[in-house]
Amino acid sequence: MAEDNRGRIRRIWDWFWSPIPVLSVGFTLIAGFLAGILFWGGFHWTLELTNTEEFCTSCHSMETNLGEYRQTIHYNNHSGVRAICSDCHVPHEWNHKIKAKVMAVKDVYHELVGTIGTSEKYEAHRLSMASAVWKKMKESDSRECRNCHNFAYMDFTIQEARAASEHQRAIDNNMTCIDCHQGIAHSLPPDYLEEYQKVTEELSAQAAEPLEKHAAAGDDIRSFLQNSTD
Amino acid sequence: MLDILGTIGGNVLSLPGILGLALGMMTRKLWLGALMGGVVGVIETLIFAGWQLAHVETLELVIAIVVGVCAGSIGTAIRLKGATV
Repeated sequence: MAEDNRGRIRRIWDWFWSPIPVLSVGFTLIAGFLAGILFWGGFHWTLELTNTEEFCTSCHSMETNLGEYRQTIHYNNHSGVRAICSDCHVPHEWNHKIKAKVMAVKDVYHELVGTIGTSEKYEAHRLSMASAVWKKMKESDSRECRNCHNFAYMDFTIQEARAASEHQRAIDNNMTCIDCHQGIAHSLPPDYLEEYQKVTEELSAQAAEPLEKHAAAGDDIRSFLQNSTD
Repeated sequence: MLDILGTIGGNVLSLPGILGLALGMMTRKLWLGALMGGVVGVIETLIFAGWQLAHVETLELVIAIVVGVCAGSIGTAIRLKGATV
């Protein structure tokens, strides 16, 4: 019998690509289908586990913002609806969600090196962290806010007068949620208004047509209101 | 950089990566596999932009096409290597 001089990796490679005469096409298809369901189900389930509040706040460096969030209306409110970390920070759409998950790897790195490990370090980075989230929200027209909130769903007649008039102003001026609601879930850093102004100016400079492309919902409502008054 | 890596990861695990690979495995012609993968990349970008060209980000479109072309080509390579038909 001839001696097999192939290395272990080469033999595994050749075995992987050689036809298996003992399996029918049907068996291979059904087995592949079942394996696919198991793999995809497991993958998606694991991904959903990383969306839980317990997972997000299991790192030491997340304690500060967890405490702040627990004082807000998104944690406790009269309706009993709660928005957890992932509701505001993880997109629902698959492509954007995977992108957010890949980018979140940096959070693990910063937890390991202790970038915001103490309250002093946290405060030192608060403005830059907030600024990064504001930029993302402004760019996406507050996409994650709009998973629950939408101008089209608002009944201005049962809102407080100031809220109703501000929301009308937001529609008229193509504004987005984060333009007014910075600090809705976490404490605001000093000089936050100047920083937010900087974010909006940077984005306006980048875009040829500054954020008008995101104004579809506002356009609908504005045209409806104009027609109603006519 | 992180933004680009995230976009690539999102596309690999989304339609361009998975459907592109599957379509590539359906042909023995490399150009056809790559083309089908690229088309999936374009379609996926349009789906996520709500079928409005104004909402399409150039960088996202380019990455989706590149990932689709790569996945389609790999799919064809798998077909050539792993099937006799």
